[in-house]
Amino acid sequence: MKLLKVTGIETFYDKIQALKGISLEVEQGKIVTILGANGAGKTTTMKTIAGLLKPKKGKIEFLGEDITGLRPDQLLKKGIALVPEGRAILSSMTVYENLEMGAYQRNDKEVEQDIENVMKLFPILKERKTQLAGTLSGGQQQMLAIARAILSKPKLLLLDEPSMGLAPLIVTAIFKIIKEIKESGTTVLLVEQNAKQALKIADYGYVLETGKVIISGNAEDLLEDSRIVEAYLGKKSS
Amino acid sequence: MLGEFINPYYLQIGSFILINIILAISIYVTLSSGQLSLGSAGFMGIGAYTSALLTIHFDLPILVGIIAGSLVAGICGIIVGLPSLRLSGVYLAIATLGFGEVMRVFFVNWESVTKGAVGLSGIPHIGRELLNFFRDAGFDPSSIGMRNNQFTYLLVLILLLLINIFIIWFFVRQNKSRVGRAFAAIKMDEKAAEAMGINITYYKVLSFTQGAILAGFAGALFAHVLAYISPADFAYHRAIEILIFAVFGGSEVILGAIFGATFMTIMPEALRFISEYRYMIYGLVLIFMMAFRPQGIIDENIMQWLKKKLPSKRGRSHGSRNQKHM
Repeated sequence: MKLLKVTGIETFYDKIQALKGISLEVEQGKIVTILGANGAGKTTTMKTIAGLLKPKKGKIEFLGEDITGLRPDQLLKKGIALVPEGRAILSSMTVYENLEMGAYQRNDKEVEQDIENVMKLFPILKERKTQLAGTLSGGQQQMLAIARAILSKPKLLLLDEPSMGLAPLIVTAIFKIIKEIKESGTTVLLVEQNAKQALKIADYGYVLETGKVIISGNAEDLLEDSRIVEAYLGKKSS
Repeated sequence: MLGEFINPYYLQIGSFILINIILAISIYVTLSSGQLSLGSAGFMGIGAYTSALLTIHFDLPILVGIIAGSLVAGICGIIVGLPSLRLSGVYLAIATLGFGEVMRVFFVNWESVTKGAVGLSGIPHIGRELLNFFRDAGFDPSSIGMRNNQFTYLLVLILLLLINIFIIWFFVRQNKSRVGRAFAAIKMDEKAAEAMGINITYYKVLSFTQGAILAGFAGALFAHVLAYISPADFAYHRAIEILIFAVFGGSEVILGAIFGATFMTIMPEALRFISEYRYMIYGLVLIFMMAFRPQGIIDENIMQWLKKKLPSKRGRSHGSRNQKHM
């Protein structure tokens, strides 16, 4: 089943066209990754899907419903949660308060229980529960941002470069968690520069270049694709 | 006998402190969602003029005038707030300062209604109305040994005190509610707040409008306590003065705004002999505060410390939090 369907979106920054007609699909229960170099339009695509930018042309459908141009808070209500680039956390609130804020739109009584569950997925957050979020390390902050997004109980989780600026060991940990999130039933759309790691956990991948999709395919195939190997994986092509 | 203890001058300073506290809270509320607005003086003027004109020309009760004044200020808040939301930080400050100045010029030049720079006099006085009310009810202040003017000032002070208690209670509650959380999140990181599903536009306009309503409300009270207003009361100086309340006292917590307003109202009175230099002193205070304590005298840390101190005074009946101390 198609969870998200993006058809020919074109997004502009004033007069500069950043996306030149991007189409992609996200199947339910899968991890789909968007790869590409700097300036390829990865983050712009993500921001457009998340409602932070409005496309001039094109259509975004979620579960068959047209969601083009909705605000982020409306999208979250529909089940699309974004973890923005650069670990946007509330640094002078405690870790626990940050998690509570993740459930901002929810009114049910299971929030506390869900926070407990999420802290099982991220044991470090449990340890640091009462600490101010700003005192966490970069990797812990990224985990907090992801944990917070999960607490809104999204159907689709948008992750914008979760590995940016983190140590290799932590990057591996984060990718492991993304896989666990998928296994728990949440669909993930992942924007990454770290092509190798992303493709290893993803089911499907799109490669962007200057605002267009140039290659797409199953993740295993992309890992073998000589064009990608040359451009992003830095391995000699055999 | 009571009359000997009550000095109308002190009572009036008390009333000014309480009005200034409302103004300080108005700037605190807008700051709590991360917006620096210097339009409080303008909104205050709108509230004051609206209420004064309605009560003078249409003979409306003061209460109706004050409510109308706050509402008109609130509506202006929405009108100014919506487009200004695209601005942030210092740009918003400049735009709102400009708005305040426009309002002042407006009050000066719309002479047929506002009487221009001369100002409006003969505004119904809250205290006198209250006194008449008590008299009609058959109560004579001299029966408790007070002169009429002492009694009026005392009534005004008590009324303002009750209003202040209500406003402070309301905003302390709001801070702990979803609205307060949304404000705090927007202040810390708009991107994060947006990602958490907070409707940023709505909450920013809400906090801006709350600030405008409070300033308009304080302005209306000001008009009916002083019984005279002129455009100079709502000029640039007033905007800076209100800003100082929050900057000096502390803009992170509501107690900071209250403290700032109280201290900054008493200081020029206590130091009458240098009151001509007060704007110089304000300037120095601003510079020193920005350099050494940008968060103001009272900040979160002091609040935490106070919270730790207070329950232990009341005894340890108060839950598990302090068990570690003993």
